[in-house]
Amino acid sequence: MSRDLVCREVVELLNGYLDQALPADVLAAVEAHLAGCDGCTMVLEEFRQTIAMTGMLTEDQVTPSQRETLLAAFRGWSLA
Amino acid sequence: MQAPRASAADLELVERLRAHDEAAFIELVEKLTPSMQRVARMFVPSDAVAGEVVQDAWLGVLQGLDGYEGRASLRTWIFRILVNIAKTRGQREARSVPFATLAGDDLEEPAFDPAAFDHSGGWSSLPFDWRGMPDERVTGRETLAVIGRAIEALPPMQAEVIRLRDVLGWTSDEVRNALDLTDTNQRVLLHRARAKVRAAVEEHLRSVNT
Repeated sequence: MSRDLVCREVVELLNGYLDQALPADVLAAVEAHLAGCDGCTMVLEEFRQTIAMTGMLTEDQVTPSQRETLLAAFRGWSLA
Repeated sequence: MQAPRASAADLELVERLRAHDEAAFIELVEKLTPSMQRVARMFVPSDAVAGEVVQDAWLGVLQGLDGYEGRASLRTWIFRILVNIAKTRGQREARSVPFATLAGDDLEEPAFDPAAFDHSGGWSSLPFDWRGMPDERVTGRETLAVIGRAIEALPPMQAEVIRLRDVLGWTSDEVRNALDLTDTNQRVLLHRARAKVRAAVEEHLRSVNT
């Protein structure tokens, strides 16, 4: 990618950037843009923080009836 | 597609299951069943049928244990069994939901509102900058609740990808294998989901920033 990227394009690449999934030429263009753009750097930081906060959520619990059903299935399989 | 291989912990858990260790089974059931139920529900018409699919999937897992060679991580392997059963069941119930419906919006469209940019593609109005706000305000319970609601409001496949990736910490390879997605779709779905969740956090923090 020889041309410079604009903000509208860079924001769409930020999660690929965070996932280290960008091809080398695109990565270089994104890094060059971020080095000179406070707005996109801010959005990148906000993505990082949002992802970290999402990681603080807890997963649902299995319902007691589903747990019982599956346990019964396991015991049936164990005896088979 | 190259799948992430089994970890030492996976192989140990499989050995315990093969030895009919009930505690190992319960451990795995508690960890995976809630997401399995949601994923199954994407392909079948009711929670009850999704529950049956989950049960069939676990039976399939137990019956297939001897054939598990650790070429994929244990949870990826389990989800593949689940998704296969769910898709077959969805077709039988004449309710195979098109991928576009599960994925949500047009995946070709940008995730950010084009109105935020000027004609040359630079910012015309910057998003709210919450970096100066106190940490306890930003990462407090209220914000977490906003994130939880934002995820629930996402189209099903976007919601599940962000849950598996960012709530449960799966790798991108595990998620695309488990949900039978292409690499590109996994990435686009995650990006769209994160963009909407970030926007919800931004809106919330802007409104409480006095």
